[in-house]
Amino acid sequence: MDQSMISGYAPAPVTARMENHGSSMLKVAMQSGQDLFARTGSMVAYEGFVQYEPNPPAVRQMASQWLTGEGAPIMKCSGDGLLYLADYGADVVCVYLNNEALSVNGSNLLAFDAHLQWGVERVKGLAKFAGQGLFNVGISGTGWVAITSRGTPVVVDCGRGEDETYVDPDALVAWSSGLKTKAKRSFKASALIGRGSGEAFQIGFSGQGFVVVQPSEDSTDRLRVRG
Amino acid sequence: MAREFQRGHKAKISDLTAGTDLYIGVQISGPGLGFDISCFGLDAGEQLSDDRYFIFYNQPKSPEEAIQQLGTQAGDTESFRVTLDRIPAQIQKLSFTATIDGAGQMSQIAPGYVRIVAGGEEVARYAFTGAEFSTERAVMLADFYLKDVWRFAAVGQGFDGGLDALLKNFGGEVAEEQQAAPEQPAAAPGFAPPAGPAPGFAPPVATGPPAPPQPAPAFGAPPAPAPAPVHAAPTMVAPMTTPPPQAPPQAPPGQPPFGQVPPPQAPPGQVPGQMPGQPPFGQPAYGQPAPGPAPYGQPVPGQPMPGQGMPGQPAFGQPAFGQPPQAPHAGQVPQTPGAGLAAAMQKYRELPTGQRWTQQNPKLMRADLSQAGGQPVLARQGSMVLYQGKVEFGYKGAGFTGRVVGNMTGQEMQLMRCTGRGQVFFAEEAAYLHPIELQGDAICVSAENVLAFDESLQHEVRRIEGHGIPGGALFTMQFQGTGTVVVKTHGTPVVLPVTPTTYADSNAIVAWSAASQVVLSSQVRLRRNAYPGHSGETVNLQFRGAPGNFIIVQPYEV
Repeated sequence: MDQSMISGYAPAPVTARMENHGSSMLKVAMQSGQDLFARTGSMVAYEGFVQYEPNPPAVRQMASQWLTGEGAPIMKCSGDGLLYLADYGADVVCVYLNNEALSVNGSNLLAFDAHLQWGVERVKGLAKFAGQGLFNVGISGTGWVAITSRGTPVVVDCGRGEDETYVDPDALVAWSSGLKTKAKRSFKASALIGRGSGEAFQIGFSGQGFVVVQPSEDSTDRLRVRG
Repeated sequence: MAREFQRGHKAKISDLTAGTDLYIGVQISGPGLGFDISCFGLDAGEQLSDDRYFIFYNQPKSPEEAIQQLGTQAGDTESFRVTLDRIPAQIQKLSFTATIDGAGQMSQIAPGYVRIVAGGEEVARYAFTGAEFSTERAVMLADFYLKDVWRFAAVGQGFDGGLDALLKNFGGEVAEEQQAAPEQPAAAPGFAPPAGPAPGFAPPVATGPPAPPQPAPAFGAPPAPAPAPVHAAPTMVAPMTTPPPQAPPQAPPGQPPFGQVPPPQAPPGQVPGQMPGQPPFGQPAYGQPAPGPAPYGQPVPGQPMPGQGMPGQPAFGQPAFGQPPQAPHAGQVPQTPGAGLAAAMQKYRELPTGQRWTQQNPKLMRADLSQAGGQPVLARQGSMVLYQGKVEFGYKGAGFTGRVVGNMTGQEMQLMRCTGRGQVFFAEEAAYLHPIELQGDAICVSAENVLAFDESLQHEVRRIEGHGIPGGALFTMQFQGTGTVVVKTHGTPVVLPVTPTTYADSNAIVAWSAASQVVLSSQVRLRRNAYPGHSGETVNLQFRGAPGNFIIVQPYEV
C-alpha cells in the first residue's frame, strides 16, 4: 500500500511527558510510577502497557461535588507506553506547571499528572447560573496539565486595565489561580424579557493573572454526553 | 483573482499587480513540526553580503523597513511585507525559505502555499505539498528577483541541511555572526528550536561565534539551553511568530526554566549513536529504569551537531521515557518541560491593541470600541466571549428592519449593541471569522453568517424567497458604507469570481459582493428543480454580475 499520503502523521519522537500530536490530540509518555488522571472516555489509542481505572477511590472523594454525583468523570491511567487522548477534535494545550496553580473548567480538563494537588472548586456565585453548573478543578504543584479548547484559545491579562475582565461562562476555559471572581449581569432587566441566554451573565475577574477563553460558547461536555 | 503558480513558474510582479507594497503570506505546517520562515535579501551574486537583510524572527525588518516580518496572521504561518520600491539597489533578490524547527523532514508537511496579496487582494499563489519533497529539512519556497523589473518565481526547492546550511549557501562571510544565531535552531532540531533561539538571542551575546552556541545546548549549559526544553520550545515559538517586540521581554522569563532544561537536551546528542530504528519505548523507557544522568552527559560535547534532523529524533524518544523511570522523576521530568505556565500560554497571548478590529486568531475577533470614534458595534447576541473595560450590552430590538428570521430554525436573529470603552472578543461555535472592510462599497451576507459589524454601516435586510429554501426564504443583510463586517464561516471558505455560470447552494452561500455603485448588481435568481425529485441540491442560487464580483461559499450546508 502506498502510505506516502499518511506517512506524515506518524508520531514524532517523544520529547516530553505531554505533547501535542497535531492540534487536537495529546500524546502522553506514560511511565510506571507516574500515574495520570484523564477524562473518562478521552483515550483514543495507546501503545505499550497501560491500565485504566475508572472512578478510582481517591478520585471519588475529591470529585464528589462534581456535578450530580454520577461518579467522577476521571480515570486513572498507569503503566508504560504512549497514550493518546482527545476530546472530539477540540484543541489541546499542554501546560507545564512549575509550582504554579491553575483553575480549569471541569469540561475543559483533559488530563493531568496524578501527583499534582487538585480539588474541585465551585465558582462563587455562579454555579446556579450556568446550566451545567460551573465546576472548576483547581490544580497546583509541579507537573503537566492538558486542557482542551474549542478553537484556538486566547489568553488575556487581567491586570492590564483599570477595569475588570468579564467572560462568558460558556467560553471560559481556565484562569490562573489568585484571581478574584464574581458574577455580573450586564443586561438590564428589561433586556432579559423574552430572551434566553444572551449575554446575561458574565464572570468578572480582577487581580493579577490571566484568563483563557475559547472562541466558542459550546461548553457541552462531549465526553460526558456520550458517556 | 489569484494566479496559480507551479514550481518553476515566473512572472513579473507588474503583471500581477500594479502595487509595490506587497504582503507575502506563507503557510506551511505539518503534524508536530515547527518552522522558521525567513527572507534572505541577496546581492547580485546571490550572496547575503549584508546580514541586515536576513529577515527572520530575531531580525524582523531590514534597516529601511522595506522588508518586514509580520508574524502569523490571516491563516498564514508567517507573513512579510515587502515594499519593492524601497529596497536598496544592492539587494537584487529576496529568497523566502522555510526551515524545519526540530526533527522532521519536508515530506511530512501538509499542503501549504506562498501567496502574494496586494491591495487586499490575493494576486498570486504557489501551492506545494509534502509530496514534492523528501528528506530535506529546509526549502527555498519562492524568490523575488530583480531582472530589469521585479519578478516573482515559485521555487520550491528542498535543501538538505537546516537553516545553517542555507546560510552557508547564501554566503560564507556572514557565517560567523549570523550563523551563530541560526545555527542554534539547527542544532536544536530535535528540540523545540524556536524556544531556544528566543532566550538565546535575547541577550545579544549569545550570537557570538557559532561554536559556543552549539555546545551549550548539548551540555545544558545554563545560558543557551534555549533550544532544549522541548516543550518549552513549541510554546515559545509563538512569541517569535507574533509581534516581534514581545520576544525580548519574554525571553527573560523563559530563561530560568530553560536553564534547567539543559539536561534533557543532552539526549539529542545521544541520539546519534543509538538510532531511531528503535521504538521510542524501546530500551530506555521500559527496560532500564534509570538511564541516569550519564546518558545526558555523554552525548553532548563533541557532537558535530544534530544539524541534520535524523539523529536528533531518536534522541528524544529515549530521553523522555528514560527519565521518568528515575526515581527523581519528580525532579527530572519537570526539567524537561522547562517552560512554566506563562511560557505555555505565551502563544495564545492577546495581540497588542491599536486597531478597531483585530483578528486574534482565525476564530476570535477583538473589537476595540475606543477606536474609530467610539462608535458602537452591533453583534449577534451571545457572541461575546470576553470583554474588558466599561462596555454595555444593549438589546438591539425590533427597530432592526423588521426581524431577521433565520432560515433554518425559524429563530429570530437578534443583535446586541455594544457601547462604551474597552475591548470585546467575539466568537461563535469556533467558526472561522473573516473581517471584511468596506470602503464605500457594498456586500450582501447571509444573515446566519453575520457575526458583528460597525454600527456606522448601513444595513438592510433582504429576503430572497423561493420554493424549496428551508424556512421559505433566505435572509441576507446588505451592508454598505465604511466600516467592517465580521463574517463567520464553518470551515475555510472559497471565494469564486462571478461568471455567467456561477451557482451556489443556498445553504452554503455566505456572502457576495453587491458591486460598488449599483445597489445590487449581481442579480440573484433562483433556479429551481434542476433535478426534480432529487432531494439534495434542488435549490441553487445563480449569480450574475459584472466581472470583479465574487461570491463566498463555505464548506458547510446549513
